Amino acid sequence: MSSSILHTEKLCKTFSNGGVQQHVIKNLDIEIREKDFTVIMGASGSGKSTLLYALSGMDKPTLGKVFFGNEDISGYSNDQLAVFRRKNCGFVFQSIYLLENMTVFDNIMTGALVAQKNSTELVKKVGDLLKKVGIKEEIWKKYPNQLSGGECQRVGIVRAVINDPKILFADEPTGSLNSASSRDVLDIFTELHSKGQSIVMITHDIKTALRGNRVIFLSDGAIVGEYEMPIYGTDDLKKRRDGLQDFLDGMGW
Amino acid sequence: MIVMNKILRLSWANIKKHKLESIALMILVMLCMMLCASAFGGIIGLKNIFPNMMKNTGSYENYVLITEKDFDDKFIDILKEDDRVEDCARSEALYSMSTNYLNALGKEQSMYMCFITQENEAKIQHSPMETKLSDSEIAAMEHPIYMPYSVRDSMNYKEGDKFEMIYGTRKFTFTVAGFYDTALFDTPNSILKMIVSESDYHVLEAILDKYVVLGFNDFKGKGGTELFNDMLKEFSDYSGKDISGSALGITYEGLKMGVTYTAELLLKFLIVMSAVIIVCVAVMIRFRIAGDISEQIVSIGVLEGLGYKSTDITLSYVLEYILISLAGIILGTGLSLLVTPALISVGEIVSGHPSGSSVSSMPIAVTVAVILAFVAFISFIRAFKVRNYPPVRAFRKGQGDHRFGKEHFPLRKTKKSVHLRLAMKGFLKNFKQNLGLTLCVTISTITIVVCFVMFNFFSGDMNAIAVSAGVELSDLRVELMNTSDAYAFAEELVEIPEIRKAVPTSGFTTYLTAPDYNNDLMIPVALDDFSEAENIFPSEGRFPEHDNEVMITNMYAKLCKLKTGDSITLDNVNVRRKYVITGLVTSATNGGMNLYITMDGMKRIVPTYKPDTIEIYLNEGVDADEIRYSLTEKYGRSVADVAQDRSDSESYEERIRNEAERKIAEIMANYGVTHVEYAIQSGDTVIKGNSDGFIIKSIMNVRSIMETQLGAISIGIAVLTTLFMIISVFVVMIILFILMESTIRKQRKEFGIMKGIGYTSRELMLQLAFRIMPAALFSVAAGTAVGVSLLKLLTSYIGKVSVNMPVVIILDVILLVFCFGCAYIGARKIKKISVCELMTE
Repeated sequence: MSSSILHTEKLCKTFSNGGVQQHVIKNLDIEIREKDFTVIMGASGSGKSTLLYALSGMDKPTLGKVFFGNEDISGYSNDQLAVFRRKNCGFVFQSIYLLENMTVFDNIMTGALVAQKNSTELVKKVGDLLKKVGIKEEIWKKYPNQLSGGECQRVGIVRAVINDPKILFADEPTGSLNSASSRDVLDIFTELHSKGQSIVMITHDIKTALRGNRVIFLSDGAIVGEYEMPIYGTDDLKKRRDGLQDFLDGMGW
Repeated sequence: MIVMNKILRLSWANIKKHKLESIALMILVMLCMMLCASAFGGIIGLKNIFPNMMKNTGSYENYVLITEKDFDDKFIDILKEDDRVEDCARSEALYSMSTNYLNALGKEQSMYMCFITQENEAKIQHSPMETKLSDSEIAAMEHPIYMPYSVRDSMNYKEGDKFEMIYGTRKFTFTVAGFYDTALFDTPNSILKMIVSESDYHVLEAILDKYVVLGFNDFKGKGGTELFNDMLKEFSDYSGKDISGSALGITYEGLKMGVTYTAELLLKFLIVMSAVIIVCVAVMIRFRIAGDISEQIVSIGVLEGLGYKSTDITLSYVLEYILISLAGIILGTGLSLLVTPALISVGEIVSGHPSGSSVSSMPIAVTVAVILAFVAFISFIRAFKVRNYPPVRAFRKGQGDHRFGKEHFPLRKTKKSVHLRLAMKGFLKNFKQNLGLTLCVTISTITIVVCFVMFNFFSGDMNAIAVSAGVELSDLRVELMNTSDAYAFAEELVEIPEIRKAVPTSGFTTYLTAPDYNNDLMIPVALDDFSEAENIFPSEGRFPEHDNEVMITNMYAKLCKLKTGDSITLDNVNVRRKYVITGLVTSATNGGMNLYITMDGMKRIVPTYKPDTIEIYLNEGVDADEIRYSLTEKYGRSVADVAQDRSDSESYEERIRNEAERKIAEIMANYGVTHVEYAIQSGDTVIKGNSDGFIIKSIMNVRSIMETQLGAISIGIAVLTTLFMIISVFVVMIILFILMESTIRKQRKEFGIMKGIGYTSRELMLQLAFRIMPAALFSVAAGTAVGVSLLKLLTSYIGKVSVNMPVVIILDVILLVFCFGCAYIGARKIKKISVCELMTE
């Protein structure tokens, strides 16, 4: 069993809109284990994204605590959280969010240079990573709107992992991609996980969820079920899919 | 109508959405409206002062004052015979440049004064006397005096107050009986003409120079300086002696200029300032519209999809800025209605005359129309770019509009700070926007630098002003009796420990004319050795050293297209000599007619010439008034003094000594005797004495005179330059705030992503602040260069205003820090960008 990299204590997140309060996360205790590929699933509005943002320090909880290792990050200021994120977290978003006015290379360097100083080493590292995810050198100087969605997301992944984050958060990374691109992107995640990268991913898609080794099911802001699987590629895929399908059926999916 | 209603709602919604920016813009429009309408209103109001004054006083349009001893009755006939002269009158007055008065603090202050009787005043003007006192109260008054309105308005004298005039060691106390309007000698900044009783006039007559006053009107367009110069030449030719040095002329233009010129000039500066603000308003409107279009591009596409034409959307922007401007205009109009009467009132106080004007609605209406038209034009031109975004392109957030040229500042080449590099990327990306910023900051810097230098200059010591004016500023200027030997006396003066230097020079007693240049009257500043001068420096060439060399002013050189090395011919009565111009001096005093010449040079054209004035320079910390008193006491006796000194309580020896001095005074005044010694034996006692007490005619405290004459102007300039600096700084601050707001709005998503990947708000704020620095650096450098060049251009005409470059550079650094600070604080809205909100939108 891996040690805990992230855990929460009675985490609550409440939104207020026009005086109406909406409790999205309710007294949630969760533990994310190091080197796990944790997949969070649930129906729309179940609080998946809210939980991801609270865990990753993108947002502050209304009540409760978030621990990164032994460090309580729930009391951090916004700037402290930003420093925390740059040191420890990587993010891959459904909408990718590349900086439109920067080249592919600069998009990654923007994320890298804020955390690391040695630009010569970084340039080499960025190049290696881009090649690894299949982004050819002639694309490096292109701008995001000159790239396909799959290419953009691969760039997004490189940007997320360039600082060797302790944990990688992904919010429906294949949500806006076609099936071929989705597969390529998921293969990258699988490879990262196989090398020991801790990953927390939100998805609606069972194919994507299969890449994880732990599935947490959320309903109404609370964990209602948890399902463990062997590491992807080490078991029979059909059996893996049936197992996960049974679990999800049980959750009312 | 429905479309118009919808456009109005769109505009209003936009204003409400960006309240702070709208308020900032409104404040700038308000300032612009207030300054421009008030200044226009003020100028129109002040325009009435001069015609009102001429009407109220019934004054002649031109005056010539000639010392009584040099006047000949035939001069009036010469004047009447000139076909340019319409009407003339003769009167007389007493005038001195060596008079002082006790100011409100009880301190002696120098002021040029002129005294006239009511009867003589009536010959040249018929202004009614204004008083709060009854006839019986005035009749009971000892030494009543009527003073110009300016004394009441700017010096705060009122009826019944004491006015203490000091001449030499003697004090004359008058009681203010009332005030009157006068066209001639109306303010303490120039000369103050006061009406005294016949008996007091006779007392003053004994000590002050008596002048014949000729007042005359000329046919329009035929008079002016040319008539004045021709007249003096004719008078000199008739009398066979140089009259120019004994004459003082005031032309119609001179009277007019003296009344409102300074106030009008200051008001014109306000209009320039409002023009600066409106340029900044234009730039800000462009920033905001660019930001709005970028932010609302999808909504624009939706509106277009719903059937709005791009013209409708453009009009909604135009309407938005017209509404904001209208709010600013309404507030600005309110303020200008308060400020304009105050400006007119200040103008009245400065000029010393009532204007009889009220606030006119015309300048307000014109300013409103100009501002609205300008705002509508600028906003239309910028907003009409929405036509480049048809619906589909707008839905794609303007994609297709992007042009990807050269990649600037690639991050792979980052050596040091990524923030600095990202800032530079941002700077180049928003290059057009930065051009607008550069324009505004450059204009503001020019204003700040010029105002700062002028402020320092006028609030600094008088030496700087003297250097700029090209005149010698000693501590005391001693005018000697005709019979005195200036060189011998100067040698005697330097023996006094408090005096460090005494330099013989020329007084304003001899003028030269330039026959090749309209017979212009040149006022010689003569010194044996110009290296002795402490405030006269050639801006080009060198000092005159030989008897055929002169320096002239830059202003005159430009006017007559003369340069160093050229020759100038000068006349004095019937003698004509040619001189080589060895150098140019920046000076606007005496209309730039100063002529710098050696004593030998003067003797070459006026063989009988001898210095009649001594410039005295005191040691540091010595009280000029104390020295003036002791010198007057010892050397400044006159026939009148001696006549007044008779007293029954004196001893026999004192009475003998007084009688001897009275005789000496008479001999020196009437027979041109230069030195007298006497020894009288009375019994065993020998009473000895000499004429040393009759050397000085008058002593002027030069600094005190300058303070009196330049005091009000200095304060006015200091106030105005400070106001301009504050407004400029305020404009820069608002522009930077609006620029930051608009940039953040435009790049909200980008900043959200950067926060998401670990950039702190502070780092992003720093990046934004650094982003404007290249524009700020360039603007401040360019603004300083233009400002300093403007000052140099200005000073090449009016005088040398020294620019202390190290101080200006410090000012520039402060400006840059200020710009950085404003941009940094203006970018604080980055803190409000929520990464989550961006991710979930």
